Amino acid sequence: MSLSRSPSPVPGGGWSSPGLNIPSSGRSSPTRGYPGSNGTPVMWESARLKNTSGSPGYPSFSTQNQGFLSRHMRRLSSNLPHFNANPHYIEKEKIVHGRWSVQNVPLLGRLRGVMARMGRKMKIRLMIVLLFIISVIVFYNTPLIYHWRRSPWLGGGQKFVIILAANVGGGVMEWKGAREWAIERDSVRNKKKYVSRWGYDLEIVDMSTKKRYAHEWRESWEKVDFIRSSLRKYPKAEWIWWLDLNTFIMEPSYSLQDHIFNNLQQHVYRDINEYNPLNISHPLTDPHLDEESRSAVGDGKAESINLVLPQDCSGFNLGSFFIRRSAWTDRLLDIWWDPVAYEQKHMEWEHKEQDALEQLYKAQPWIRKHTAFLPQRMINSFPAGACSENGNDSRIHYDQKDRDFVVNMAGCEWGRDCWGEMYNFRELSYYLNRNIWERFKEDLVAKIWEKITGQKVKL
Amino acid sequence: MHFAYPPRKTSNPPPYLPRSGGTSRLPGLRRSRLKVIALVGIAFIVFIYILTRPSSSSGHGGSTTTKRRAPSGNPPVVLVTVLDEKRYSKAYIDTVKENRIQYAEKHGYEAFFANIHDYDLKNAPPSWASVVATRHALTRFPEARYVWFLDQNAFIMNPRLSLEEHLMKPARLESLMIKGQPVVPPDSIITTFTHLKGPDVDFVLTQDKEGLSSGSFVVRNGEWAEFLLETWFDPIYRSYNFQKAETHALEHIVQWHPTILQKLALVDQRIINAYNQPKQGAEYQEGDLVVRFAECDKIGPQACEIESKRLAQQWRKAFTSS
Repeated sequence: MSLSRSPSPVPGGGWSSPGLNIPSSGRSSPTRGYPGSNGTPVMWESARLKNTSGSPGYPSFSTQNQGFLSRHMRRLSSNLPHFNANPHYIEKEKIVHGRWSVQNVPLLGRLRGVMARMGRKMKIRLMIVLLFIISVIVFYNTPLIYHWRRSPWLGGGQKFVIILAANVGGGVMEWKGAREWAIERDSVRNKKKYVSRWGYDLEIVDMSTKKRYAHEWRESWEKVDFIRSSLRKYPKAEWIWWLDLNTFIMEPSYSLQDHIFNNLQQHVYRDINEYNPLNISHPLTDPHLDEESRSAVGDGKAESINLVLPQDCSGFNLGSFFIRRSAWTDRLLDIWWDPVAYEQKHMEWEHKEQDALEQLYKAQPWIRKHTAFLPQRMINSFPAGACSENGNDSRIHYDQKDRDFVVNMAGCEWGRDCWGEMYNFRELSYYLNRNIWERFKEDLVAKIWEKITGQKVKL
Repeated sequence: MHFAYPPRKTSNPPPYLPRSGGTSRLPGLRRSRLKVIALVGIAFIVFIYILTRPSSSSGHGGSTTTKRRAPSGNPPVVLVTVLDEKRYSKAYIDTVKENRIQYAEKHGYEAFFANIHDYDLKNAPPSWASVVATRHALTRFPEARYVWFLDQNAFIMNPRLSLEEHLMKPARLESLMIKGQPVVPPDSIITTFTHLKGPDVDFVLTQDKEGLSSGSFVVRNGEWAEFLLETWFDPIYRSYNFQKAETHALEHIVQWHPTILQKLALVDQRIINAYNQPKQGAEYQEGDLVVRFAECDKIGPQACEIESKRLAQQWRKAFTSS
């Protein structure tokens, strides 16, 4: 962009007097020669200039005095006398004064007339309708929704933190190609949207193979550290939801509270015998254990559940699970990695930390007591390609008729098309969650148009 | 730095000031009606809030996990001993039992005896039974405040000392615990916590010259105690062939798992774990609570029984006199 004038000495650069920017002010103002500034705030101009670094010939003065007041001092102060800066206007008003005609009455005046003629009842009704509309707008269509869904006494969203494991295996081990980037972008965007809708927090963590664990052979256990650090970072968080990168929240309109946690007790099963692909013998029978440890369901209360995870066809699945802030969780996170266990088992532990957790679950009564399982399709539906040895299983695989909450494209990096799956599920999610207007357009208007003209249209 | 020019005075002063605000332009919005409208507005906002909130529940509202209620302290202390009736003579076992029972009766404690072959250890060395027996005691006496495991080859020598007063009272414990001590002497980089407070201690044990000693330890009944004992008893440690079985397993978990270390207090050996010989650790002196015949088990049951003879007379005398 070119400027016809040298910049004014306002620290931010650019013209700062808004009076000059109003095109209808009737004055021949110097703004006319300043193409970009029409109506846009001056601040924006300078910000844009700063962004396009090295823009030709426009010195930026913005090294200091960036505060709001110093930037807008001129603008604020020059606002005041602007009221009747236009002499023509004053004159006109003097002339017109007292001679209202129907055509000339300004909108406000006409409205006033309508109001005056309206009955009292009608006014109240109108007021109610208006209020209703305003409150709907305020509640649904403003950024405020994020904040009240966060607050503990409205939505309680700040009790939930989603950890998204990004950059899996990247860094040292391999380069990310365009597809990997696209997967990551879509997945992150999906979670960001979900989080901002319900007022949760999102923590995106970098799973790239870390050198700092290489000497301890604990590459897959970063999960533990990330959960720990998130618990520290979000002190109000109660539940942490771990999500792998290859997941997609299909139904962003489900809140975690409604979907799971308000009725945790009804949704989970604590007796693993209900679905037990690992054939873990449960409950424990050792005579030295107390009744609670020997019970199949722990103490049976929802409050004692600290870990909620799904099982797939081959056992525990840590692609999507919940863990609650508690002393128990600290202990689990602490015990999860153990060098002696690793030394003995690492040959069998194909899925590393997941197998370690299974091992702990089998061996430790204190872990069993506080673990609960969710039916897989509540939070971790698989696409048809995963766990497909025995065909489609209604306990495991996604079904769009049931509007499953989350899809986890587990194992897609081994011989399946991650990006293709991600793309399809993304489109399906958009399709399933169209709003009324889109449905009207696509399901009705476009169909009718197709019937009439025989052509498919996209509206 | 430079500011903008000072605001210029307008050369066209306003002929009149705009009406100062307050009075509404809309007719019919008098103050009284404004109130009504405000009320209606609030009612609406509340209404819509009720409709739109993701029903913030009472279910998980209480973010506290259920805290187990503290045990009532009946009995205050359970005294756990694991007996090996196969290898040791009945007379010796009876002496040990009598010693525990008499001490327990004196202070209103319970003595809990388990047999070393009671538990299925999955081929682990039998000494592992001490861990599971302590866990068993927690099950048997859920209201006990403390569980004190004491090795079979030991006598309680001073019946006047109660475990609570002598050791577990927070103030006393704070004065006794050794802070910043390497867990495995002499130079482990893992040291006991320096800022631990008496009431936070759930696990008290001692060190002898070779490291932690698991022949005499006290745990406070609670969730943490279950966690400790079950973790300690993990089959994966039992199958690992630690050279000193459960003792080395304990050293391992204490060093690798801070959730265990953070509840642990080391105290001087003579508080609950004095030895009859100074070779392995602090030697017993008159007035100490406990004497253990450490290492006699390795030589054989006979050695223990011989060593115990002299001390058995001593404790009987002490018990009858007090």
